[in-house]
Amino acid sequence: MNYSLLTVEILATLLGVGVLLADLWLPASARKLLGYVAATGVAILLTYALGSGAPADGTAFGGMFVVDAMSNYFKGFFLLATLVVLLMSIESSETLVGYAEYCALTIFAAVGMLFAASANDFILMFVALELITVTFYILVSFSRGRLGSLEAGVKYLILGALASGFMVFGIAFIFGAANTTNFYEIAAKQTELAKSPIFLVGLLLTVVGLGFKIAAFPFQMWAPDVYQGAPATTTAFLATGSKAAGFALLLRVAFGAVPDITAHWSRLILGLGIVTILYGSLCAIPQRSVKRLMGYSSIANAGYLLLGVAAASLSGGTAVLSYLGGYIFTVLAGFAVINVVVNRTESDDVSAFAALGQRSPLLATGLTVAMVSLAGIPPLAGFFGKFLLLKAVAAHIGTDKMFLLALLVACVGVVLSIYYYFGVVRAMFWPRNATDLTPIAVGGATRLAVVLCVVGVFYLGICPNALVRTAKQAVAGLNVPPSAAEVHTAAK
Amino acid sequence: MEHAHNAHNAISAAAPAFSSRPEDLAWFILLLPLIAAAGIAFFVRKSNVLSAVFSIGAVLAAFFLSVGLFITFGIGGEATVTTPFSWIHVGDLNVNLGVTVDRLSVLMLLVVTGVSALVQIYSTGYMHGDRSFSRFFSSLSLFTFSMLGIVLADNFVMMFVFWELVGLSSYLLIGFWYEKPSAGDAAKKAFLTNRIGDFGFLIGILMVWAATGSVSFAGIAHKLGADPTALGSMASIAGLLVFCGAMGKSAQFPLHVWLPDAMEGPTPVSALIHAATMVAAGVYMLCRTFFLYQVPAAWPAPLSFLGSISALDIIAVIGGFTALLAALIAIQQNDIKRILAYSTLSQLGYMVMAVGCGGPDAAMYHLTTHAGFKALLFLGAGSVIHACHHEQDIWKMGGLWNKLPVTFRTFAIGTAALAGLPILTSGFYSKDAILDAAITGGHPVLFGLGVIVAAMTTFYMLRLVIVAFFGAPRTGAASHAHESPNSMIWPLIVLAVPSIAIAWLPLGDFLSAHFNPHFHPHEGGGIFGPFNHAPLAATFGTGALLFGAAAAFGVYWNVPKDPLPGQLGLIGRAMKNRFYFDEIYDGVLVPLHDMLARLADWFDRWIVSGLIIRGVHGSTELVGRALRLAQTGNLQTYTFMFAAGVAVVVMIALKLK
Repeated sequence: MNYSLLTVEILATLLGVGVLLADLWLPASARKLLGYVAATGVAILLTYALGSGAPADGTAFGGMFVVDAMSNYFKGFFLLATLVVLLMSIESSETLVGYAEYCALTIFAAVGMLFAASANDFILMFVALELITVTFYILVSFSRGRLGSLEAGVKYLILGALASGFMVFGIAFIFGAANTTNFYEIAAKQTELAKSPIFLVGLLLTVVGLGFKIAAFPFQMWAPDVYQGAPATTTAFLATGSKAAGFALLLRVAFGAVPDITAHWSRLILGLGIVTILYGSLCAIPQRSVKRLMGYSSIANAGYLLLGVAAASLSGGTAVLSYLGGYIFTVLAGFAVINVVVNRTESDDVSAFAALGQRSPLLATGLTVAMVSLAGIPPLAGFFGKFLLLKAVAAHIGTDKMFLLALLVACVGVVLSIYYYFGVVRAMFWPRNATDLTPIAVGGATRLAVVLCVVGVFYLGICPNALVRTAKQAVAGLNVPPSAAEVHTAAK
Repeated sequence: MEHAHNAHNAISAAAPAFSSRPEDLAWFILLLPLIAAAGIAFFVRKSNVLSAVFSIGAVLAAFFLSVGLFITFGIGGEATVTTPFSWIHVGDLNVNLGVTVDRLSVLMLLVVTGVSALVQIYSTGYMHGDRSFSRFFSSLSLFTFSMLGIVLADNFVMMFVFWELVGLSSYLLIGFWYEKPSAGDAAKKAFLTNRIGDFGFLIGILMVWAATGSVSFAGIAHKLGADPTALGSMASIAGLLVFCGAMGKSAQFPLHVWLPDAMEGPTPVSALIHAATMVAAGVYMLCRTFFLYQVPAAWPAPLSFLGSISALDIIAVIGGFTALLAALIAIQQNDIKRILAYSTLSQLGYMVMAVGCGGPDAAMYHLTTHAGFKALLFLGAGSVIHACHHEQDIWKMGGLWNKLPVTFRTFAIGTAALAGLPILTSGFYSKDAILDAAITGGHPVLFGLGVIVAAMTTFYMLRLVIVAFFGAPRTGAASHAHESPNSMIWPLIVLAVPSIAIAWLPLGDFLSAHFNPHFHPHEGGGIFGPFNHAPLAATFGTGALLFGAAAAFGVYWNVPKDPLPGQLGLIGRAMKNRFYFDEIYDGVLVPLHDMLARLADWFDRWIVSGLIIRGVHGSTELVGRALRLAQTGNLQTYTFMFAAGVAVVVMIALKLK
């Protein structure tokens, strides 16, 4: 077997184990150093994975593990998210008990994501997801001293277990109907499988598990509570890495394994997307807690991404990938700032952000860029992603009027989002009653994280071509139907 | 785009931009002042000397290039349009950045760059010691650039852009001494009044574009040449709307109110605005787009009672009325600059009337001669004001003729030219051309009006000269006046030359040949030409001059104060108070505007903001709060909803089969 395909995963695991072991011998005062070591390690891995280390396309473990344009695309972003989260966590190295474990677990979750990016089989998909989810159970409840964190951990654990249960159940159905769990093999016989209700139910139950990860309606209930309760760094990772892993798998299943069934179910996915957008956007409006707001924002964004999946076309898939790329930078920029503020003020209420523009211009800039990008305003990354998504959706209006509805809802959602995102911006620059105007000192690691993300947001907004091109190759590699028209005629 | 035009475009497109073709010089002429303005603003702001050198150097270079162009194209050259850049290309709208080089534009280039150069040289003396010296020169350069853009534009869009740039730069210059409230107000007034006219201009441009599908002058002219009814029933309306732009810039009734107030700017600015830039823009634009007005009159149904009255007829009447009105006001003004300002208004009315009477050549002729002697008069007035320690009331001057000998002589030459002294001055010939145009255009009433205005012009100008330069000094400032520095004197002398010399150049024929390809110079030309081929106009013009002069000497020679108000009574007071136009506008338009503003505010506050915005906002927020109730935080509820959700999704999915 070609182990070289797994180089990045193996190195990442070794890094995690190394960090864990180093904690045994290092004095307590050096644990902050460990965060830098972990971040540096991930940074080296990232350059390695993006540069010379990217292995040639191929499969391993009997076709379970695949390396292709898609997996490489996601691995880059997972490692990037891990890097930024580790940089952010250095800020809270003093407050988190067992900081070395935190770093190691973050890296283990990242390994799960790396495997998820390459999973080409329902079994590996489940294992990768469990690796992510189980580490997240711990990461969410890591602030053991805080009741909210523990509560969030328990909620995530129980609902996650429920989702996993449905998923295993579904995988059993699928295996029963198809006699295989490999995506390629299922794709080969999807026309006959599409007639089997057992297979379809199995597929749906599996997708439920993914729906939980991406926080799509009606499996979104956990998101606000967990986002609010978890440490901000964990929330950041949850909103980027974990969500992106869910979408990576969803795309592999929907576009790679069962494209015809996806096209057939496009109205269902579209409907879920519409409801998800509305739910996330509407609930976000009265929020005062910024972390909870990000939870609802995360739900709404899952809705937008579902519209791209529902489009079931090359442009739809490309839009989803491009959107995720910009989204990861944007959300990380936001959380890098939120993490600092929450650490300093012990509160994530909007009022805690009052006058941030005066207290720390860098942080205020970072959060503003994040909010503006999330609201989808040019020339930031968020705009371009939304633009591509809506363009992909608009291409289908001619064949299905429901896409027009989706387009309208998406626009309404954008308008609503401007309202709640800019509420935060307003608090930062035009505070009503700011009492504390002392400057906030920002550590070098956070500074680096914020600058990195802001540059990324601007870069992807102004020069998105390279990203879009890579995304297109990634989706094309999944045997996505070349154009929407063909999908629909084939389905009918 | 049309065939002929296309063919030409193809030719110019094939040639590399900025080849050695002489017409490409026009681009340099256009851009030099802009480079100077930017250079001053960004680099040499700190240095007064360098700022003046940049600005004057650029405009002088532009002037000499213009002379070159004039020699190449003005004398016997063909009309050319160069369009090296495609600027906007959206659907049917194709806008090129192009320059027109023909007799009209090269003559105007000479006028603009020449007057601007002299005004700028003069300014080095006049503005000496001003703390914003470099800002002044930067603005002057910007102003010159904007005006050159109007002159060279080969399409409506480009012209409109520069049109607005002129508005902006005039705002900057009129309000140059912004710490003076009156200057700030005057700048605002000029800008806003012009915007009213520009609004009509813009709609006119859009109408012409909609009807002909082209915005380039050549393209529209070609289309109208092929089909004079291409503008449909809106032909006359479109023409009048375009004329609205000229009404604003060239200060025609009822938008004339900004021009006298614009005297709040420094005197060199007044000279520039009144002579070569801004006010000339309106008349120049009418001449440039004269083809729009050569189509048969056509009105939409509600206005059909106007019948065969054309847009030109209306323009002629507005011009004539403005000329008369302004001359009447000028007779009773005491501020030296205001007298000149109303005189400019009156002369602009003259030019617009000439265009309306079908004589754009006469209008351009007068525009050119007027630019010279009006710049001379303004700069002379500036010299007088400078000498009398910024005293502007002519009744506080007197006896200046021997204290300011050069200023007096040049001012007298300017006055003679404005009054139209036969044979010797340029003003005589151009005024004669206008009067002739009124007769040949079939407007005897306007001809009579023109003659009356000519007499009044002589009257108020001689009143100014007699009161300010002769008699005994009325104040200490006047008795201790002494001649201005050389930098201010020399431009006066230079400007005095064309006030006389243009008289003997065949400028009228030169222009007529541009507008009428079949034009043949009159037999028996030469300096006595007007008496031969237009005896009526020449005779009446001369008669008006003599009458006005006699009246002025009779009334004002050696009087301590103005005897007219006592004799004229109520009318005199009305004239002195500018016929209460500002008061009428204040009393009628301002309350009306306020009322509309209040209505709009009410609508915005209660309907838009209250009902629509707050309504939508409130109901969405309510929905958000209601949805939040589902988010109880109770784990049992969550799991239940999760499972219920799975059931519903599976059900829907299987139904989709």
